Parts: sequence; structure tokens; C-alpha cells
Amino acid sequence: MSKNAIISKLGVLAQKREYGVLALLVVTFITVGSQNHAFLAMGNLKDMLVACAPVAIIACGMTFVLLLGEIDISVGSMMGLLAAVIGILTSPQHMGLPVGVGICITLLLGTGLGLINGLLVTFGKVPSIIVTLGMLTALRGITELLMAGRWITQLPPGLRVLGVGTILGVPVCIWVAVVVAAASILMARETPLGRRIYAVGSNSKAALVAGLPERRLKIFAFALTGFLTAVATLVSVPLLSVIESGIGNSLEMLVVTCVVVGGTSTNGGRGTIIGSILGVLLLGMVRTDLIFLRLGETSTYWERAIQGAFILVAVLIDHIARRRSNLEVTQ
Amino acid sequence: MLVWVLSLILIDLDGYYMDFQLIEVNEISKAFGGVQALDGVSLDMAPGEIHALVGENGAGKSTLIKILAGTYTPDKGTVTVSGKKLHTGDVRASEDAGIAVIHQESTAFLHLNAVDNIFVGREPLRCLGMLLDRPLMVNHTKELLKRLDEDLNPMQPVGELPLAQRQMVGIARALSKQSKLLIMDEPTASLSTRETETLFRIIRQLQSDGVGILYVSHRLEEVFELADRVTVLRDGHTVDTLPIDKVTRASLIQMMVGREVTETSNEGSKSPETGKVVLEVDKLGREGVFQDVTLQVRAGEVVGLAGLVGAGRSEVARAIFGVDRHTSGSVKVDGSVLCSGSVKEAVNMGIALVPEDRQHEGLVLPMTIMDNLSLVIQNRLTRWGLRSSEREKELAEKTMHDLDVRASNAYVPAESLSGGNQQKLVIGKWLASSPRVLILDEPTRGIDVGAKTEVHKMIRKLADDGLAVLFISSDLPEVLAMSDRIIVMRAGTVAGELKREEATQEKVLELALAESRESSQTDKLAGGVE
Repeated sequence: MSKNAIISKLGVLAQKREYGVLALLVVTFITVGSQNHAFLAMGNLKDMLVACAPVAIIACGMTFVLLLGEIDISVGSMMGLLAAVIGILTSPQHMGLPVGVGICITLLLGTGLGLINGLLVTFGKVPSIIVTLGMLTALRGITELLMAGRWITQLPPGLRVLGVGTILGVPVCIWVAVVVAAASILMARETPLGRRIYAVGSNSKAALVAGLPERRLKIFAFALTGFLTAVATLVSVPLLSVIESGIGNSLEMLVVTCVVVGGTSTNGGRGTIIGSILGVLLLGMVRTDLIFLRLGETSTYWERAIQGAFILVAVLIDHIARRRSNLEVTQ
Repeated sequence: MLVWVLSLILIDLDGYYMDFQLIEVNEISKAFGGVQALDGVSLDMAPGEIHALVGENGAGKSTLIKILAGTYTPDKGTVTVSGKKLHTGDVRASEDAGIAVIHQESTAFLHLNAVDNIFVGREPLRCLGMLLDRPLMVNHTKELLKRLDEDLNPMQPVGELPLAQRQMVGIARALSKQSKLLIMDEPTASLSTRETETLFRIIRQLQSDGVGILYVSHRLEEVFELADRVTVLRDGHTVDTLPIDKVTRASLIQMMVGREVTETSNEGSKSPETGKVVLEVDKLGREGVFQDVTLQVRAGEVVGLAGLVGAGRSEVARAIFGVDRHTSGSVKVDGSVLCSGSVKEAVNMGIALVPEDRQHEGLVLPMTIMDNLSLVIQNRLTRWGLRSSEREKELAEKTMHDLDVRASNAYVPAESLSGGNQQKLVIGKWLASSPRVLILDEPTRGIDVGAKTEVHKMIRKLADDGLAVLFISSDLPEVLAMSDRIIVMRAGTVAGELKREEATQEKVLELALAESRESSQTDKLAGGVE
């Protein structure tokens, strides 16, 4: 009986995951902040948010993909390819096209790659993890071919602005992340599109009976994720001093971890954009904390281990929550 | 706003359409593989009519509903709604024509709240059609729920509500569509008496608004209470459509069962009632699924477990076998209780279950006959801890010979066999573990008549060899032909028990259909038999 009580309490916690993540975020913030005042410095917090922005932008799209019960693990390689493309198109060392043209092509390419993912999953009837795993490998390979071991070091000032520029003292990438997040929240909660995505993810049989276009919704979610990956690339790559073929390596794992930690079920139907954003902030803060803990070189290793622990715990809680709701069904 | 305008238009048009029948179903046929689910079924309804649709398991009710809802496309025939031909096989077209279905199985979106559940797919919009019109949705939901006398929280995820309230949300969804024809498939299955009364009040209210209701139910008392006319389906044919005052309970059952018995009849057990009791199930229950199931099977006896789909037969079988955990009662084999309730224990105690879904649960289709057969007793077929292919082959060849499995050799994949041979293979797989009790769940579903007869003979032979057999089938003539005793289940309980000599299709169906108010009486009557 007591075991059941514990399970049901954990279940309640899992249902209100956003609060849990928020609490954890605040606790981490206060603990590390009181130990080390440099952590609370404006500059540090800004750096942290800048690092979080591209992850948050992609996480918005990824949330919709997971809500539909699918997954996209190709975003890291996609960012690598898009970074190479924007570099080659606009850098004076290479083609030197106008920045506007470069941006448009990058956005179109990102959307197109997402669209291909979506079409293969829906019409090709291949599980999304396999489709995007293939994409993950193929896109990285194409990137390496394109770059051929070169480094792109000169980017036009018009593009640099996207990375280093500020509006009202706040970096452009944070503005973009806020706008994307706000639009995603609105879409998820207040548009038919958003509600239908939840509906299909929640019960695809019932969605069929209700005449909802499951395939189109899935294609849309993958294309949106591709588009947002392009947006994230445009606001993060210009910050780097050099573009090489390894950009975005293992980014997909970070994004999926953030979304799942933020309470989105890998089985679809449950989760929120706000939760995903909180997940991004939590993992971003953990990363910064590790630097402040002065672990030196080992901090990267710790980051991976902790990221892994987070996803395991999140999935476990998710599982318990589902068991609890199953209990409800039989009662 | 839009809904309001639409409803005005609909009300206007209703006057015009009154001249037409609400719906005319004309000579609809539909086959799945080789099975003819519907064969030239016709039906018509006037506006404001409550029309009951009854029939035995597999009579074709669900198929007909799915065709009207647009989830299936008929092979032949037409559907006309208010004088207009319906574009069949299109959920949207059916919805636009004013047909709404309240399904038997839950079609709720458990993660969404009642408001979203009601409107998803047809959301009212505002702000130039960009955003949902939440205030209107919420108000409309509250009105609908008030009309249904339901005070659930419209903002709570439906998955957190009890089943009956989920059902009410489904009804509210159908009502919100301003439907002209409402199809209800066993709507009271999960409702309490009070909720059922509320539902009936709503149905009558809808009727007076001119909505036609096609009411599908196994509960005949509800049919008599509500319906104006009743249509009986049997084996995919329309038996008859009659005004409700022209039929009686007995004549309805007569029409439902008047089915030809084509299978070879069986002479029954050689030694019924003398064999030792092998399987003893005592007051077995699984919370919310079935309760108080008591039955015994003797060695050499075939006991049939009859009942309508959803009565809990397969669930009992799964609980006996330990696939699902039981919450009360006990299972005994040869007098010793199964304590852990796991599949492993059940197998060790000599129980074997041939599951309903033979392709998914019974066989590993891409694997060879030999591999499938040795699956259950893999650890007994080893030499020095490794698989012994000779011993596996020996077993495979013996089984194929004993059960007359027709295949070129033991190395062909199971998926290359016919349905009948596959079924023999599943049974053979379990016989390899030399069980004492064999539970068969729908062993002849979807296999042709010839193979059916062979499976029947095989089951009889196994019983004669001393096995205790529990035989679940939805095919009434088959249960009657095969069983020494028949236990009839209804709504998760044992409704009664019939001996071979006294069992008829009518008696079995009478027990399976008996209504809750009379159930205590029938239980007593049937209880007197043992």
C-alpha cells in the first residue's frame, strides 16, 4: 500500500513536471549563487542565456515532434550542414553572396530537410528514429564533404550582427528565442493546429475517427523543427570564430534531453513548450555550474554524465506516471 | 458565432428535408479477406426515430456502424442521408452529412480536457481565424454538460475522469455537432443506473428535436424501453425490421440465433463427470474487469465458455494463465493453488493457453516451425546447456505427424502456413510442455470450414487423452457442438451453466443477454444445474 502511495505521489509530481523542473532550477540557482557570487554576475547570466538560446529554439520544434509520438535526432547534423552552407554562401573567402540570400537559402534548406524527414516517416512508414538516425549520419557526411577539412574564419558583418548584435542591450539570439517560444506556446495552446497535435499524439485511433490529418500534422512538425534548426544556426554560428564540420555535434541529444526533462512524454500527447524551455534552462545552468565548480578539464565529462542521468530519471518518472494513469483506467 | 449561423441554416433546411427519409442504407456489402461481414444489408430511418440494431457476435453491427461513420468503405451498396447520396469511406463526409457516432471503445483524447475533446477537428476561431475561440468553446461546453446533467470540470484532462464521465464527454461531442443521426454503440456499457436514466432522457429529448438515433445494444430491456423499431442482423444479413410492439424478447432471440449449424457434430466426452477435477477456479476476480468467476474443468472434459464480446471471457483466461494479475479468488490445478499468479508458474503447473490473436501472441511468424514448437520448452531441449537441434527436430517431426500439420518440412517459416495449420502449430507448441489444462481462446476464428473440423477433432482427441479443456468461442453452434458443459458469462460474471443435453442456442443467448434486474433469478436457475 505504501509502495502504491509513493508511486502515486511520484505520479502527481510527474504530472506537474513544470513545477518540479522550476523548483529544481531555483534550488540550483540559489545554491550555486550563494557559493559563488561570480555566478550571479550579469555577464555570466547573459552568457548562459546566449548558450541556451539555440537549444531553446530547436526544443520548441522538438516538443511538437515528441507530442506526436515521434522523435528527430538529426538536428545536430542538420545544424552542422546549415552552418557550412551559410558559411560557404556568404563568406568573402568563398562565394560571398549577399547575407539576405544566404539566410533565405539556409532557412529553405532547413525546412526542406525537415520536410524530407516528415515525408519518410509518414509516407515511407519508416520509424522516425531510423529515418532521423540515417539523416544524422548522412548530413554529417555531406558536411564533411562540403568543408573538405577547411575552416571558414571570415564571415560578413551583416551575418555577425545576428550573433553579437544587441537590441535594447539584449543579444539578438535571446530575442529570437523569446519570440519563437512565445509563438510556439500560442500555437500549442490557442490554435487548432496545436490542439490537433496533442489529440493525435494522445490517441491516434480516436484522431482517425475524428477525421484529423495525422500525416500532415507530422510532416508539419518535422518541417517546423527543420526550419527552427536553421533559425538556431543563424543566431548561434556567427558567434563562433570559426566554422568547421563538427558544429552541432551531439546537439540532438541535448535537445531531446531538455524536452523530456521538461515533461514531454516520449509516447506523445503530454508536454508543454514552457516545460521544454525550463528543461533547456536547467541543463544550461548545470553546464555553467560545472564550470564554476572548477572541475577543470573533467567538466565536459561530467556534463555528459549528468545529462545522461537527467534523461534516465526523466524517462523513469514518465514511466511511473504512465503506470499510475493505467491504474486509474482499470479502476 | 459560426456554429450558431450553421445551426440556423440546419433548422431551416430540416423543414425541407422532412419529406425524405433521414437515412436509407441500401444493399450494403463488405468483405474482409474471405469473410463476408455484411451481405446486402438495408435499413431506413425517419427523422426522430429511435431504431435499435441487434444481433449476435459477428452479426455485422460494428461493420455497419463503421461504414456509416466513414471509417470503412463498403464494397457494394449506397447510403442516402436526407435524400442526398453519401460519399462513403470519408469520415468528414459522414460528419458533414450529420452523422455522429458514440463508439463503444473509448475515443477520448485522455491528455486533453473536455473542451478540447469536444471541439478538436472543428474548432471555432477568432482573430481572423488565427486563434481558437476559447470563451465560446468553454461556454458551449458548459451548456452541453448542463444539458447532460453532468458537473465535471471541463478543464480537467479527460484521462483523470472516471469512465462514465468520459462517455458523457463523448456524448457531448456528438451533441455539439448538431447531428441529424446519432449512432450509439453500447452506450450504457460503462454507465450506472442513474447515468443510464439521464442518457435515456437525453435520447428522448433529441428524438423530439427530430434527431434519429440508431441504438446498438446487447441489453434487450433497453431496446424495448427506447426503440420505435428494431432491425435484427445475423451473419451479415438483415433478418427483419419490425416495429417494437410486434416483437417479444423471445422472438428477438429467435431471430438472432436462427443460424445453420454446418460443423460436424460431436458425440461429447466418453466419461463426463467421472474424470478428476483438474482446473478449479474459485471466485476469481480482477478489479473492474470481472468478478466471482467460479468454474471447474475435469480431465477428459471440454468446457465451453460462451458469452458476448466484452463479457470477460478472454480476460478470465488471461488471469488463469497469469498474463493479467487477479485481485481476488484463487486458481487451483490438481488441488494445489497457484500462489504467485505468474505465467511461469502456470506453465509449470501444467496450464497452456492458446491465445485469441494467434498471429501476434501465439507464433513468431518469421521463425521456422521447429523454432516455434520448441519455444516453450527450450530449456528442456538442450545438450550441455546449448540448443540441441536434433532433439528440436525430433519434437517438431513428432508434433507435425501427431497433429497433421501440413508443411513440406520443419524448416519453413510459420507465416508460410495456412490459418488452420498455424493454429495446429500453436496448439502443438503448448502440447510440447505436456500440459494438464488447455485453454483455447477462439481457436477457430478466421480459419476455413475444413480446417475448423480438423481442429475440432483434434481438441476432442486431446480431451479423450485426459486433458482438461476450457474452450472459448463466440461461435455459438461451435460451442454447442464441442462442449460437455457450457458456462455462460455476462458483463464480467458467470450468468449460468448448461449441460450438454439441455443447451440450445436460445438458452445460451438468453443467459448471455439477461438483464441486470433479472440476473439474480437466472443465476439461481442456472445455479441449480450443478
